[in-house]
Amino acid sequence: MSSIIPRVVRSGTLPPDADAVLFDGRTAHAKSVQLWVNQNAGVLEIRGEGIDQNWPIADIRLIPDQAGQKGLVLGCEAAPLARLLSANRNLMNQFPALHKRRANISRWRLLRWAAGAVASVALIILVLVPLMANQLAGMIPAKGEHALGQATLEQIRTALDETGIAPLPFCENEEGLAALAKMEARLSPQKDPLTVRVLDHDMVNAFALPGGHIVFFRGLIEAADTPEEVAAVFAHEMGHVVSRDPTRHALRSAGSIGVLGLLFGDFAGGALVLFLTEQLIEARHSQQAETDADAFAYDVLSQAGVPPSALGDMFDTFRTQFGDADGVQAHFLSHPKLSARIADARAATPDGFEAQPILTDVEWHALQNICD
Amino acid sequence: MTDDSPWTKGMGDDGDEGPKDLGATFVENTLYGPDLNVLDGEFIGDRGRVFGLALKTGLLTVLTLGFYRFWMKTRLRRWYWSGVRVGGAPAEYTGDPLEKLLGFLIAVAFLAFYIGIVNLLLMFVSFSLFEGNFAAYALSFAGVVPLWFYARYRARRYVLARTRWRGIRFGLEPGAWGYAWRALVHWAVTILTGGLLWPRMTFWLEKYRTDRTWYGDVRLEQEGKWTMLYTATKHVFLAAVVAGIAALLLWADNIWGISVALVAVIWGGFGLAYYKVKTWELLTNAKRAGGIVFHARPKPLRVFWIYVLGYGLSSFVVTIFLVPIGFMLLALMGGVEALASGGAANLTSLSSWALTAVSIGSYFAIFLAWGAVAHAFVTMPLWRHYSETLTVIDPQALHLVQQRGRDSFEEAEGFAEALDVGAAI
Repeated sequence: MSSIIPRVVRSGTLPPDADAVLFDGRTAHAKSVQLWVNQNAGVLEIRGEGIDQNWPIADIRLIPDQAGQKGLVLGCEAAPLARLLSANRNLMNQFPALHKRRANISRWRLLRWAAGAVASVALIILVLVPLMANQLAGMIPAKGEHALGQATLEQIRTALDETGIAPLPFCENEEGLAALAKMEARLSPQKDPLTVRVLDHDMVNAFALPGGHIVFFRGLIEAADTPEEVAAVFAHEMGHVVSRDPTRHALRSAGSIGVLGLLFGDFAGGALVLFLTEQLIEARHSQQAETDADAFAYDVLSQAGVPPSALGDMFDTFRTQFGDADGVQAHFLSHPKLSARIADARAATPDGFEAQPILTDVEWHALQNICD
Repeated sequence: MTDDSPWTKGMGDDGDEGPKDLGATFVENTLYGPDLNVLDGEFIGDRGRVFGLALKTGLLTVLTLGFYRFWMKTRLRRWYWSGVRVGGAPAEYTGDPLEKLLGFLIAVAFLAFYIGIVNLLLMFVSFSLFEGNFAAYALSFAGVVPLWFYARYRARRYVLARTRWRGIRFGLEPGAWGYAWRALVHWAVTILTGGLLWPRMTFWLEKYRTDRTWYGDVRLEQEGKWTMLYTATKHVFLAAVVAGIAALLLWADNIWGISVALVAVIWGGFGLAYYKVKTWELLTNAKRAGGIVFHARPKPLRVFWIYVLGYGLSSFVVTIFLVPIGFMLLALMGGVEALASGGAANLTSLSSWALTAVSIGSYFAIFLAWGAVAHAFVTMPLWRHYSETLTVIDPQALHLVQQRGRDSFEEAEGFAEALDVGAAI
């Protein structure tokens, strides 16, 4: 140690500035020492039995975050393993660089690995996982896909339940279900069977799940002005089912949620950041899927004799209730801007379109009261 | 602690009176014999400081979307380590936050691939073949369990490599896979025997870790036999007997059934605390580092009380936080309801944003409050109790301990961090 630390021969016999204990970092031996602060030579002189060291004052550091507030624990840049323990806190004023920190890790190394980690995560979340999800969504057997949808539906029902007792109930009024079945038959005469449900909840929304599940919320059916508006949403969700968007989404989330969890760790409320980030990534995929589902809906509606503009009317209802999404909020919503979609839907309706009512007034009344 | 320690003197008014040689602190003690150096443990540091530190670093962690957590962990560890003093000399944690960040980045670069692709494939296979997600979770869990033990051992190696006392480093030899498969086998045996061989697992895993632990150039050894830990299980077994009685009473529709069941639950909680404390005591007292031995005498009832009081208080504080937030939420929702039912169904974006902001704020406030209170009323009192009841008995061998080389251990706690291996701090 004495070879590292410059030695200054001390003249004079002043009394020591403090008593201390030195651990030299070579053995666990605690050595009693006396300290002299020699500002002229810029060193702290440490003397004891067989000990004759000088620590440069500019190199002396306070060991941070000490629980004990009485006494000092000092280290020295030139002798990083040694520790000096003193009860004399006034000594602190003598050392100018007590809180200076030294980086032990090369910044470049850190940056390289940060870039590597970001690249790895980006590659997986933005390229690999979507690619695999697209491929696998087409390969999953129908029964498995249905089970996936069923599991997700149960999760949603439990999450939306406010009573804390049972999952959110389905609406099963018989006449209402018959009206819904009639609507389904008109829209998809010979397609794969769908599982169509209505959930007893105020939300003005509908969604599709893997395996041909289409779910309406009571709020949407009540908010609609005409049965055609409900049919338009129905056709839109069918578009998702046909393109297997929900299955892709489920597989993508299974892959990306874990990776994001890895990145954010379990700090307070990590789950929330996780959710928002997932939404942000998902929105990128969804906007295209929504546009495609709209286009699909226009075709289905035209063939069924329902004007595609009905979808625009439904969005109009959305807009009067919630306003259009723009700015930051739009990024978190998986759907494109409503005004654009309304214009598109209206443009998709040819002039002189011959509309045929999709439900009778009695059936429409039954559908609106499906939850009674 | 002894009067010759530098710290007792430091606390007096005459702070200038320095310390005497710590290594030569002789204490006349008939309990241990005349030629032994008796180093008593203690814990310096008060609740207020750790509360403040946990709150401040927690807030910074939230504000940086979690990235300050490496600094938070380092700073809290430095505080706790420096609070433990044996024979007047504090321990020191020398871990570096940037080194933790680096280790984490390395782990992410490799694990992201595994976690992303494997989870997706598992979900696909599970739904394709088993028509449910249970298989995916089970397989995912089975894949992670060995990694979890592996990461735990690696994390311990990192922490010990960054712990110093009297200037001398601790260390743990490599051996994480050996630990992982042993832990798996012990767990399997413990589960198959209905918990009867739990003490065997506790002992052998502790022996595996201890026998690979070094202080400087001195290797620690775990002595004793696994059967000695059975005395620690007595309250768990008694609680099980009471639970059995409760089950009989409930089966017979006896009105006392529920009360007895409650007693069994509380007794069971105490039994687990008792097991933890007592095994720690028995194992510590059967450890040696060369000639150096230990005398631990923690009190199970005290530890149980710290848990009950500490977590009770944490829950209480969180509840206090919840009340005003709850009122605010109710007021906001009431406003929204009024707007909606007022016919002008117009959920203004202002109130919806305010609602979101309040919800997010309360979410974080609760996490922060819980964490800080738990540090001040659970973790710190536990550390204090274990420190205060520990004595190191040194037959004049301690001062001969030599420094050991630095274990650079680049990955730091990367894998443990990524796999969320819950270390106490």
